[in-house]
Amino acid sequence: MKRLVQALLVLLLVSLLLFIMLRIVPGNPVAVLMGEHANQETIDRVTAELGLDQPIHVQFFRYLTGAVRGDFGTSYSLGKPVSQLIGSAFLNTLLLSLAAALFAWITGGICGVLAAIRKNSIADRLFMGFSLLGISMPVFMVAMILQYVFAYWLHWVPISGTADWRSFILPAIALGWNSAGSIARLIRSALLDILEDDYIDTARAKGLSKTSVLFRHALRNTMLPTVTMMALQFSALLSGAVITETIFSINGIGRLAVQAINARDVPLLQGTVLFSTALVILGNLIADLLYKVLDPRTRKEA
Amino acid sequence: MKKRKHFVVCLAAVLAGIMLLGSAGAEEKGLLRTAIKGDITTMDVAKTTDDYMIPMNVFDRLFETRVVDGSAQVVPSLCAEYKVSEDGLTYDFTLRDGIQFSNGNPLTASDVQYSFERLLAIANQNTDIPLEVAGGQEVMDKKADSLSGFKVTDDTHFSVTLKAPNAGFLAELSSPAMSIVDKESMTDGFGTDPAAMIGTGPYIVTEWITNDHYTMVYNDKYWGTEPTVKKMIVRVISDANTQNLMFLNGELDLIDLKNQDGAIIQSQYKTGYADRMVSVPNVGMTFLALNESNEFLKDVRVRKAIGMALDVNTMITALYNGDAVRENGIIPTGVWAHNDKMEGFPYDPEAAKKLLKEAGYEEGQVSFEISMDSTASGTVQLVGQTISQMLEKAGIKATVKSYDHAAWLDVRGSGKMDSFVARWGMDYNDPANIMYTFFGSVSNTQHRSLNYPDEEIIKRVAAAPAIIDDAARMAEYQALEKKIIGEDAAWIPLFAEMHLYCRGERVESFTPQWAGFSDFFGIDVVLKD
Repeated sequence: MKRLVQALLVLLLVSLLLFIMLRIVPGNPVAVLMGEHANQETIDRVTAELGLDQPIHVQFFRYLTGAVRGDFGTSYSLGKPVSQLIGSAFLNTLLLSLAAALFAWITGGICGVLAAIRKNSIADRLFMGFSLLGISMPVFMVAMILQYVFAYWLHWVPISGTADWRSFILPAIALGWNSAGSIARLIRSALLDILEDDYIDTARAKGLSKTSVLFRHALRNTMLPTVTMMALQFSALLSGAVITETIFSINGIGRLAVQAINARDVPLLQGTVLFSTALVILGNLIADLLYKVLDPRTRKEA
Repeated sequence: MKKRKHFVVCLAAVLAGIMLLGSAGAEEKGLLRTAIKGDITTMDVAKTTDDYMIPMNVFDRLFETRVVDGSAQVVPSLCAEYKVSEDGLTYDFTLRDGIQFSNGNPLTASDVQYSFERLLAIANQNTDIPLEVAGGQEVMDKKADSLSGFKVTDDTHFSVTLKAPNAGFLAELSSPAMSIVDKESMTDGFGTDPAAMIGTGPYIVTEWITNDHYTMVYNDKYWGTEPTVKKMIVRVISDANTQNLMFLNGELDLIDLKNQDGAIIQSQYKTGYADRMVSVPNVGMTFLALNESNEFLKDVRVRKAIGMALDVNTMITALYNGDAVRENGIIPTGVWAHNDKMEGFPYDPEAAKKLLKEAGYEEGQVSFEISMDSTASGTVQLVGQTISQMLEKAGIKATVKSYDHAAWLDVRGSGKMDSFVARWGMDYNDPANIMYTFFGSVSNTQHRSLNYPDEEIIKRVAAAPAIIDDAARMAEYQALEKKIIGEDAAWIPLFAEMHLYCRGERVESFTPQWAGFSDFFGIDVVLKD
């Protein structure tokens, strides 16, 4: 309950700050909306119609009362209700994030474990090279290379869009590679530490099989930092991946937010920022809960 | 070892599966795929002056401006005949017989009246043209329900009386703004719901998925010749490189090169696809506006010196690879009354320095800001930079400053901007469109042409559309242009760039919209299959 109140307060504060900031910056959003060919009288008339000539506290109150009823206004630049726009964009972002997270967790996990048990082998170097590439290459570069090689050159997957599941393969890799890299490195180093611990020797001495030692004793203890990282990364992914979404033409939250900024689309920008804030809050909450499931010690303290 | 083998087999199977699924089948017959950079805001001309693709294809107008034998002409569309009264105030129109909307409703004169009045009742965008009809202001101010100047005689006959004669009226009626809608089927969803978009045009819009794509299919009730394009899918692809790859991959049948980098156009399209390039002059004007209230720029000698310091031809070759036409006046090439004998400022930096000295300024003393809109295209940004460098050679210090779009509009609107580089695209083929917008009223001149001071000239610009005699009207516009540019140097006209497209291999021919809009008519594309 306490956390819920905290979360609501954060949301309220973010919306207030955003509201003030968007109105301090120079420029009339209506002038942008109406385009170069509109005359001044038209701009003034529409400004009044949208209530943007009202004092800021009146506007904020109106926004809040609407938001409580689930009405986040109508986007200036896309002409549709903000909640509807966010809804459809979020579905794409969710699919993309899930695909990217799956890629990151699976490849990151496999690479990390294999690199640790084959420490200093060629495989280790290869896997760590793969991780390093993912971490150090900027997303736009990975995206463009993947697009060029697999979509344009080899024709394996579509260049862009969300028409079918194959469209998500390249963006998922482009977006997930970085996370895969950090997960692999984290698991490798954690596992290497643990494998030298005394209780692993004990397990081995008891005559347990190699796999049993690895999975039941060693790997389980690397889960704590890894899962925290995964949960935080996932909530970050959900707030939208502007570059990946733009390059692969995916109508997601990130692209929607950028569009809102460029068009000075106040309702849409407020909607997307609030939504992302809510997601981050939720992500942190889930990470905390997972912690409690995975580590019995934290349960007692709570 | 066995496990590893399984893994390799599985991986190979997945890859093979992806490859098989990926092999593209034959394209649907009659399908045209193209892309836009950003999504449209609305499908309703009462609320946009930019997003005309759907209105152009789904609706018809009384007249259309079409490219006939290489030149833009106003031709009748839904209108079968018309007559203008002696005083140029009243137009009698006869509609074509037997025209149906896509829902089967017959087109009547009251649909036309409704389409005019609707723009005024919504009072958002595109109100200028219906406001010219007698009683227009009253309808917009909600003092009257219908236009007193609009008389319906029967289903196919009606007359329109204007407040003042306007020789460009028929050209204005061909603007997408004057699309004719079906009064009976009008719903609140008009503009956002595809099903509500009922027109007489060649296409029906079937879906619009925000930020993804919209689709139009052939309207089998269309009265004109059946086009080869039966279905158009317009995808929203904001990344220029993605658009480029999609075109190269055969996923787009027509690409608008406006969004592509000049280097890509030069190295890839002009060499690899030279025979498939389509170009059309972007009827309009890129210009440098100078603020007549600025302490330096208020002196006409300084403004003329600026004109003489700019090497426009070099800008065209260096920045546009030659794909632009030099402009010397206000009325752009391709617009009625354009004066191709108008002389531009001669490029002569030395003479410019002399002129500055006459005005009492030493080298480096004149300084002002060129304000750029950050959303303008990369090439326009370069134009700003180039102007600054060229002026430096003549001893003028012009610093380029980039503004966020909203802030730029704000500063410009205040009339306090020193100067700016911008582009105006023509809405309809009549000089009034650009002359009136920039020099036709005091409020327009304040923010559009930065405080042009000559009120006598402003009055003449506002009165010019009422001259009924074409020759006299042309002479008046050309005289005004000579005064405003030649004598007053209120603007430095630069050029009109070409709008380039590239056809995919399935497209036989393509005629872009006459003014070089990115929006085009589906009937102007001829497919091979």
